[in-house]
Amino acid sequence: MNEKTKPSAVQLAYADILSKVTLLGMVFLGLGLFIYVFELRPSMVSAATVSEHWHMRASEYTQHLQTPNGWDWIEHIFYSDILSYASIIFLSMGTIGCLIVTTFAFFKEKDRIYTAISIAQVLILLLAASGIVGGGH
Amino acid sequence: MKLCWVTHSKTKNLTLSFAQMQEIIRRFAMKLMASGLFVLAVTLPSIAQAQELAASEPTSWWVWLVSLFLFTFCLGMVAVVAGVGGGVLFVPIVSSFFPFHLDFVRGAGLLVALSGALSAGPLLLRKGLANLKLALSMALMGSLSSIAGAAVGLSLPTNVVQISLGVTIIFIVAIMLMAKKSDYPEVKKPDALGQALHIHGIYYEESIKEDIPWQVHRTPVGIFLFLVIGFMAGMFGLGAGWANVPVFNLVLGAPLKLSVATSVFVLSINDTAAAWVYLHKGAVLPLIAVPSIAGMMLGTRIGVKLLAKAQIKSVRWIVIILLFLAGTRALLKGLGI
Repeated sequence: MNEKTKPSAVQLAYADILSKVTLLGMVFLGLGLFIYVFELRPSMVSAATVSEHWHMRASEYTQHLQTPNGWDWIEHIFYSDILSYASIIFLSMGTIGCLIVTTFAFFKEKDRIYTAISIAQVLILLLAASGIVGGGH
Repeated sequence: MKLCWVTHSKTKNLTLSFAQMQEIIRRFAMKLMASGLFVLAVTLPSIAQAQELAASEPTSWWVWLVSLFLFTFCLGMVAVVAGVGGGVLFVPIVSSFFPFHLDFVRGAGLLVALSGALSAGPLLLRKGLANLKLALSMALMGSLSSIAGAAVGLSLPTNVVQISLGVTIIFIVAIMLMAKKSDYPEVKKPDALGQALHIHGIYYEESIKEDIPWQVHRTPVGIFLFLVIGFMAGMFGLGAGWANVPVFNLVLGAPLKLSVATSVFVLSINDTAAAWVYLHKGAVLPLIAVPSIAGMMLGTRIGVKLLAKAQIKSVRWIVIILLFLAGTRALLKGLGI
C-alpha cells in the first residue's frame, strides 16, 4: 500500500471506533444472554414463557405479555431479559456512534458535502432509534 | 518448527511439522463443514416436523436455543464458502423450519446481517477495500427506505409477507444463477452527480500487485436502486449484499472487490435503521437473536479459513438449492398449502 491507496484519516477513524464498539457489543451480548438463560437475575418474562408465545405475531406477543414498549425498557434494566435486550440496543447504537465520529472528521477536513451527508445519516438513524417513525404499538 | 508428541503408553516419538499440523486442522475443518451441510440437509425436515409437533408437545426452549446456535453456525460456515450473505440464508431457512413467528425471525435476521457487517467492517476499511464516500452516498436513501420497509412489513398480514418473501427468495436465486460479474468495469466518464460527490478513488489490488483507479457512473440510477433495495431489506429482514454488489459493480461500475467490501457498510447503515423499527415494535427476542448472531459469527470465522481449500462451486450449488427450497416453502406456507 502506498500514499495514494492509503485509506483516508476519516476511514481509519471510523474503523477504529467500529472495532471497539463491535468487540464491546459482542461481549455484552454474550454476558446478557448468559445472565438471562442461567437466571442469575430475575426476568420480566422467563425463557419458558417466551418459548410458549414466540409463534405469535410481535404485536400480539407484546400485548399478551405486556412487555415494555419503545424506550420503557430502561426502567426495568435490572431484569435479566431486559439486560440481554439492552446489549442488542448497544450493538444497534454502534453505527450511530461511528457516524458521529465520522461527521466530526469530515468537518475537520472541511468536506462540507460529506459533513452534511453524515449529519443527515445520523439524524435518520436517531429518528429510527427514537421510535417516532414506525415505533411502538 | 517441529512439535514433539510423546505418548505415554509408547516410547515412539511422533514428530509433525507446523505445516502438517495446519493441514490436519484444515482437513478436520473441511469434514466439519461437510458434516454441517449434511446436518442441515438431514435435520431440516426433522426440525420442520418438530415445529409442527411443538404446538401439541412443547419442546424445551433450551433445545431450540442450542439447535438455533448449531444451525446458524453451520449456516455461517456455508455462507462464506458459497459467497452468500448470512442474512439472506437466515430468514427464509429459519422461518421455514423453526417455530418462531416470521416477525421475530426477520428482526433476528437484520441483527445477524448487521453483526456480520460490523465485524468485517474495520478490516475492510483499514485495507482500503471499502470506500466510505461511496457507501454514505448510497446508504442515505437506502436507510430511509429500509425504515419504511420495516414498518410496512410489520403491518402487513403474515401470509402476505410470507408470499412476498418466498417470491423474493426465488428471485434472489435467479440473480445468483444469472448475474454476471465484472472484476474491473470500464467507466469512461463519471456522471455529474458522481463527480460532485467525489465518488472515485484508488485501491491496491493484492492479487495482481497493482493500484486500481476507479470512478462511477449512473449515480442517480444507483441511488434509486438502493432505495428499492433498502425497502426490501427492511421488509424481509434480509441483508442486502445480494443486491448491493451487482448495483455497485454492474450499474455504477465499481470494481468487484470494492463493491463487495463497500456493500458491507451500506448494509450496516441500512440494517441499523430497519432494526430500530423491529426493536421498537417488540419484534426482537434476545433468545432468538443472540444465539443466531453468535452461531453465525463463529461459523463465518471458520468459513473464512476454509475458503482457500473449499470446493466453492459445489457448496454454492447446495446453498442455491437450499435457498430455492426455503423460498418455495415460504411461498407455499403463505398460500396456506
